[in-house]
Amino acid sequence: MKQDDLKPYHTIIIGTGLAGLTTACLLAGANKKVLLVAQGAGALLLASGAIDVLGYHPADSREPVHNPAQKLPDFLAERPEHPFCLVGPEQIRAGLEAFLSLVKGRLDYQGSLERNWLLPGPAGVGHPTCLAPVSLANGDLNTRGRMLVIGFDELRDFYPALISQNLNEQKLGVQVAALTIDAPWPIAGKMNVTPIELARAFEQPEFRQQVVKAVKSASRGYGRVGFPAVLGLERHAEVMADLQRGLGKVVFEVSTLPPSVPGRRLFDALQSVFLAAGGRLLIGSKVVDGVIENGRVQQIRLETASRLKPVVAENYVLATGGIFGGGIQTDGEGKVWEPIFDLPVIAEADRHQWFEPKFLSAGDQPIANYGVKVNRQLNPVDESGMPLAKNLFVTGATLAGSNWIVGRTGDGVALATAATVVATIVDRISRAA
Amino acid sequence: MTTQVIQDQLVLSIWEQAQYTADLCIKCNICTSHCPVHRVTDLFPGPKFVGPQAQRFRSPREISVDNSLDYCSGCGVCTMVCPHGVKVMEMNAKARARLYQRKPIPLRNRLLGRSELLGMLGSPFAPLANALFTNGMIRWLTEQVLGIHRYAPMPLFSWETFRGWYKGVHCESGQRLQSNKKVVYFHGCSTNYYEPWVGKAAVAVLEHNGFEVIVPKQVCCGLPMLSNAEFGAARKNAYQNIRSLVRYAREGYKIVGTSTSCTLSLKSDYRHILDIDTTEARLVAQQTYDICEFLLELAEAGELKTDFQPLDITLPYHSPCQLKAHNMGLPAIDLLEMIPGVKVNHIQADCCGIAGTYGYKKEKYQIAMEVGKPLFDQIKASRSLVAVCDSETCRWQIAHATGARMFHPVELLAQAYGLIDLNI
Repeated sequence: MKQDDLKPYHTIIIGTGLAGLTTACLLAGANKKVLLVAQGAGALLLASGAIDVLGYHPADSREPVHNPAQKLPDFLAERPEHPFCLVGPEQIRAGLEAFLSLVKGRLDYQGSLERNWLLPGPAGVGHPTCLAPVSLANGDLNTRGRMLVIGFDELRDFYPALISQNLNEQKLGVQVAALTIDAPWPIAGKMNVTPIELARAFEQPEFRQQVVKAVKSASRGYGRVGFPAVLGLERHAEVMADLQRGLGKVVFEVSTLPPSVPGRRLFDALQSVFLAAGGRLLIGSKVVDGVIENGRVQQIRLETASRLKPVVAENYVLATGGIFGGGIQTDGEGKVWEPIFDLPVIAEADRHQWFEPKFLSAGDQPIANYGVKVNRQLNPVDESGMPLAKNLFVTGATLAGSNWIVGRTGDGVALATAATVVATIVDRISRAA
Repeated sequence: MTTQVIQDQLVLSIWEQAQYTADLCIKCNICTSHCPVHRVTDLFPGPKFVGPQAQRFRSPREISVDNSLDYCSGCGVCTMVCPHGVKVMEMNAKARARLYQRKPIPLRNRLLGRSELLGMLGSPFAPLANALFTNGMIRWLTEQVLGIHRYAPMPLFSWETFRGWYKGVHCESGQRLQSNKKVVYFHGCSTNYYEPWVGKAAVAVLEHNGFEVIVPKQVCCGLPMLSNAEFGAARKNAYQNIRSLVRYAREGYKIVGTSTSCTLSLKSDYRHILDIDTTEARLVAQQTYDICEFLLELAEAGELKTDFQPLDITLPYHSPCQLKAHNMGLPAIDLLEMIPGVKVNHIQADCCGIAGTYGYKKEKYQIAMEVGKPLFDQIKASRSLVAVCDSETCRWQIAHATGARMFHPVELLAQAYGLIDLNI
């Protein structure tokens, strides 16, 4: 009998967003026995698929950051409560490098901490981001010239006219034109088409040929042709190559409303990296609670079909997201809490303090900063700063101060904290050995 | 009044709680993008549209459902991937039952829902029944008259039922192990009437590990009726099973099953879909285990015998939807890999398409085959002559589509223990 199979888990990671998946892939890749458990498919399907590290600074600035590396010291100095300050800038770089190495050979991500892309978003607003799959990066607004954005009548919530008008008004040096066409069969005439359905249609060569036919003459005179981000799922690279060949142009994707196809590609890619490395994945099972005793998490309990199942590991990583992801809960009484371990949370007890008077204020919405208080190793701490559980690590949006709206640092926080946790866990073990 | 006070004053049934999860839906369409049926056909607009979205227009008195709901296969992938905790499948199963309150349930669906009755009728005349059911003309006629697709993977009746073997051969021959360690076996209809060898393998493995196997009175778990919108009939069976099993559960015995859908019914569907939330139902649910789950827990406690003979083989493995809905992981993989030489190739595919009785229906057969195509392609590409899956209808579907010999994991364990010979 192989004893290895029945060893308890080295690490259990809760949450399949960017932070959870990245941590899981890195640990499984280091030959650790890992369980990744989540209530559902994580937030990547709701995200652009690009990796934001620092998009705006200061908080109310309308000018996107061009060079995140250069602006980071300023940002860190101004926001000492931000998770970047806990882990340090070198972990941001380590996180990005780790991410690139994970997706390498599966998805073509490009970019660096020294230069942000400025990608056209679905409302015609530039989206400053650090790493992007080449299909999104091809739409970079820092590159001047004429571009044509195509939409499909069947795809709701994607309006090329809105995108082009808003982009043109910003005088970014790109001239954007819009064209909406009827999608070819089998999408033609459908009412409720999701981006995923269109992406599957694009995987059919005949569908692509029809699209090329419909767009080719209109695209004359434009340097680049943009489509909603629906250019294939598993066969994305093939779809891109085929369209660029057919149109004789650089083709790019523009993010859509969810579900996000580039987000799904990333979710699928990281999931297969994890499974290929021997990781165990359990999606659909909610972690209901965990027991902390003697300064360590002793077990967590999963909600299975008819009973709670205790599961044990040496280490536990909380990657359950913030208020949106369910990792931080709130109620109408002003209570803010972390639902699995009931960890201390930094938050205002007075509900009236949660929000700025102005809903669309350019500054902070205080509630977006609420989260779990941790030390530099990302262990949760009590009011006096003492770690509550040395084998529990908190990552990503669950952390206090990880406001993903202001500064657009969410993905950077996810990757930097994932890299930190992996370094801590693996390093601790190698030191012990 | 605060939210908490309101909640305290309301005592919601388990179903009402599921129904209100519609309010958790943020319309992100993650469920739609994972739905294996919506991927292949427009006839089903996706779990979000017919589930939480349509739910807003349903009141207890008013039936507001449209016919597209009938194309939901009930695989449950939607509930599994929803990050917000919306019980999409449960909502849709209920709504489908409502759909058939205003129109008659076709005879075909009533028949497919009664696997037990079919088994009882077919098994005593197995050679004749099998000859009939494998006859092309008869199948063509069945398709025309009843609407059961002529190529759908009908299992063959077994002349010898599992219960017949257990009572007649096993108990009377004195081979049956008697022990203080007891376990209750829920075999389900498929093991009893079609694949008694799965039940024999389960008994052999359990007895090899020192358990006395009790086979109590039981009827069809009711799932085929449930998924064909006959909630009344399904409830009747559920109550019968609960009544029969609860006395063992009270003794603290574990109830194990080899059919993932039967055990899921006992664990969850009786309560979450059929609304039977009694103390007895909860107790039975609490004590019910999938056989691999049971054996792996033994192994983790160091109590599983490990006298396995090596088996040098890579096994393609499909994890059925009904197993994933147990939300406990995939114990068969860990268990099989305890056998020296065995490597499990866990195929990454959503669903085989059959979804219980769904793929048998004339108008859904092709959809089911399309749904399963990524799975079939990978199994064919593996060039393996055998494959493993915990659920019977999935095994029949995969065998039908790929030609692979399909096994339940417990059969391989029995083989590795040297208790049976699978000839692989």
